[in-house]
Formats: sequence, structure tokens, C-alpha cells
Amino acid sequence: MHYIEVENLSFRYEDEPVLQNIDFTVDAGEFVILTGENGAAKSTLLRNILGLLKPSTGFAKISPVNVRNEKLAIGYIPQQVASYNAGFPSTVLELVQSGRYQRGKWFKRLDKEDDVHVKRALDSVGMWDQRNKKVGDLSGGQKQRISLARIFATDPDLFVLDEPTTGMDIESRTQFYELLKHNSEFHGKGILMVTHDHEDIKQYADRHIHLVRKEDSPWRCFSMDSCKEPSKPHY
Amino acid sequence: MEMFFYGFMQRAFQASLLIAIIAPILGLFLILRRQSLMADTLSHVSLVGIALGFLLNLNPTFTTLIVVMVVAVILEYLRIEFKSYSEVSLAILMSGGLALALVLMSFVDGGTNTSIDQFLFGSIVTISPEQVQILAALCVISVVMYFVFRKPMYVLTFDEDTAFTAGLPVRLMSICFNVLVGVAIAVIMPIAGSLLVSAILILPAAIAMRMSKHFDYVILVGIVIGIIGMLSGLSVSYYAGTPAGATIALVFIALFVVTSIGKQAAKQFRKKNDIV
Repeated sequence: MHYIEVENLSFRYEDEPVLQNIDFTVDAGEFVILTGENGAAKSTLLRNILGLLKPSTGFAKISPVNVRNEKLAIGYIPQQVASYNAGFPSTVLELVQSGRYQRGKWFKRLDKEDDVHVKRALDSVGMWDQRNKKVGDLSGGQKQRISLARIFATDPDLFVLDEPTTGMDIESRTQFYELLKHNSEFHGKGILMVTHDHEDIKQYADRHIHLVRKEDSPWRCFSMDSCKEPSKPHY
Repeated sequence: MEMFFYGFMQRAFQASLLIAIIAPILGLFLILRRQSLMADTLSHVSLVGIALGFLLNLNPTFTTLIVVMVVAVILEYLRIEFKSYSEVSLAILMSGGLALALVLMSFVDGGTNTSIDQFLFGSIVTISPEQVQILAALCVISVVMYFVFRKPMYVLTFDEDTAFTAGLPVRLMSICFNVLVGVAIAVIMPIAGSLLVSAILILPAAIAMRMSKHFDYVILVGIVIGIIGMLSGLSVSYYAGTPAGATIALVFIALFVVTSIGKQAAKQFRKKNDIV
């Protein structure tokens, strides 16, 4: 089942094309990494997929339902997460709990099951002991880890991650990749992740999509070079 | 205590308490959404509504509400369209609103200087029982909306893109919030004055943000700060014979400075004594 479907997508900022002829899918249970040089419009592509930007031509769509025919939940981590709202008056625990709201809790109290998800998510990034700290008082790497904890608490069907390991040490990165791999392989989560770290992550990802500059274009315009490896269609 | 024997002072204190509850709720979200300047813009533009009210012989509060709600929607559009330099559009609207209000006022027959002065500087002691009732209604609406929409607003305020991907109607929520702020400004402005209404909205939340690390507690601390600032400012203005709105704003600024120094001192103390 396709969680993400991108077909012949092109995008331009005013007159300048930045993405052309992008075609790919991300299935349930598939871990796909997206790479490209700096300025290769990787984040722009993610924002097109999420509906934050509108493609100039073609389309990008996200399945409205998951494999169980329930409303599909998306967990998104934007780029440079460490820089946003530094003064936000919230504890780590409150922020990670907010990841549960989209699980039908916008207008309901969080229950014991939510507490379990939140505790597990904070433990998975080693931040449970820091739960009462103010978000603004954390280091860049810690902020990155709690934003990961926040989406793990959501337990989304689809992860869309924009360079989520920025500021993390090798050990934390490896743990994170293993956690993602576990989520895709055993829980059927779809994962699309922008990264510069493709050598380290190769052994975990099912597919690697590389954005390359179009040689025939006068613009810094990027298209796809997909190195497709055998994917595991579990779902 | 003699001031409590006067009906106008009783109403002023009632209004102050209500504003103290409304201000941190709206102020916190305005600050976190980096829209502090929006409150100032709306308060300046609201003078156009006052001028239109006088010109068309309608209730100025009614025309102000209409004008402010329309501008609140326009501001949301400008915020999206000119994301990276939205303060430019705010500055244009702010000065444009004030200029248009003054020009419209010049077409009104008779002496209107007193009236425009009243809206520029406000007069909490001339507040009518109807204005207190409108404030009470606004207070109830703000508190109910806070409790109902606290979680969606938390996520929206933390990061709009995250809110969008979580399925929240980001644009609609932003417009509704702007309109609520617009209505609050239209109602509070005759009391606090166009020039000071944004200070009264923003400062209690700004002070509370420095004192609490919990999101919900910021609102509660803000309400306490608001009550202290509003009531002490009003009392000082009564005994010193100073303008109420200005005195209240100065008390809030003094509280901001004191809490900032106190927080810095506490930080130094903890550092010196190695307390985490």
C-alpha cells in the first residue's frame, strides 16, 4: 500500500524551476532515504509532499488511511528543529505529550496508554530524566532528541523526517536508525527521511533516492536518480 | 479605601479584573506566534472604526468591531504572503490606520478632539456598566475557548508546519484567533487607550513567561501578574491623579524589570551555590 505517491512532480519558485519529473512511492513498511547536495531542494520536496507547498505540475499525495483503514497519522520533523521557538514555555514532558494529541486527544484527556507511549518515547532517546526541564534550556542536540521523542510518542503510520539526526553523536544516530528500522520492519511504518548521512544509514534503508542536478537546465534544478534495491513488500 | 465607595471606581476595578484574566490568555499566544506588533497594529487601525462611527453616526464600538475583524483577517493573509518580512505590512497598516482615522475625524462636525483623545489614551474611570458586561462576556468567551482549544493552540503555537501535518486547520485557527484578538482590542481600547492596549495585553504574559516553565502555569501566573498590575496601577492612578492606562502600563513595565532582575539574581545564586 502506497503511503506516499509522487508522480511527475515539478516545482518552481516564481520562474525558477527547482524540481523536475520526480516520481516515487513510499509504501507501508518501507524505509526510504532521500539525499542530494546542499540546496538540492530536498526539504522543498518534502514540503510539497506534505501539502505545505503546491507542486507546479504533477502531484504528491499521502494516503488518507493506513493499512488498517484508519486515519493515517503523520509524524513530521522539520529541518533545524533546534532553532524554533527557543523561549517556548513548556517542559520536555508537555512537549512530548503533545505528540499524543493527534491520536484523537485534541479534546480529550490523555490516559494511561498515552503515558506509556510518552515514557517509552522519552526513554528511547534517553531524555526521561530531563522531562521536567524547560524546552528552551536544552542544547541543540537535546532539542533534536525530544522532537524525535515527540513523534515516537505520536506513533505515526508515516514518518517524514528532514535531517533528524543533526547535532546527534554517532551512537545516538545508530540507535535512532535501528529504532526506525524496527518500526518499518515490524510495525509496518512508512519512512521518508532526508539525510546527508547515507553511508551510515545504507544498511538500514530499503531504498535510496538521490536528487541530482539536471545537466540540461540553466537553473539549479534537480531530478531523481533512484538506486532501487529490493524492497520488502510486507503490507 | 474611599475609592471603593465610588460607582465609577467599582466598575473600573471590575473591568481591571476582567482584563487581567483576558490579557495573558491572548498575550501568551500573541508573543509565541511573534504577533506582539499585531496587537499594536489592530489598536491603531481600530481608531478608523471609531472615526467611522462618529462619521456615520453609529455606535463607535460596533464600527470598531467590524473594522478590526476585517483587518484581523487581512493581517493573517499578509502574514502568510509576506512571511519573511511581515513586519513591513504591519508597519504600513499601523501608520495607515492612524492616518486614515485622523483624516476621517477631520470630516466629523463639531469638536471631536476630546473623543479621539479618549480612544487614544483611554479612560478606565469613565467605563459604563454596559462596557463591563461586554468585557465579562469577552472574558467568558476567552476562558472557554482557551480550555476547549488549548491543545490545538499549543501545537499551532509550537510549530505551524507540525500543526498542519497533524491535521489541524491552521489557517482557520489563525484567522479565528486574530478575530478574537481584534474583538478584545476593540472592547478594551476605550478603557486602556489605543496607544496602551497592546502593552496591557502583552506584558502580563511576557512577565509570566519568565517565571514559569509550564505552559498552563504561564497563563495562571499571567493572570496573577495581571491582577496585581491592573489593581495596583489603578489605585496609584487614583491617589496620584495620573492617567489610569498609562499608570497600569508603567506598573507592568516595572514588574517586568523587577522579575527580570530577580530571575537573573536567582540564576547567579544557583550557579554560585551549584544548585541545579
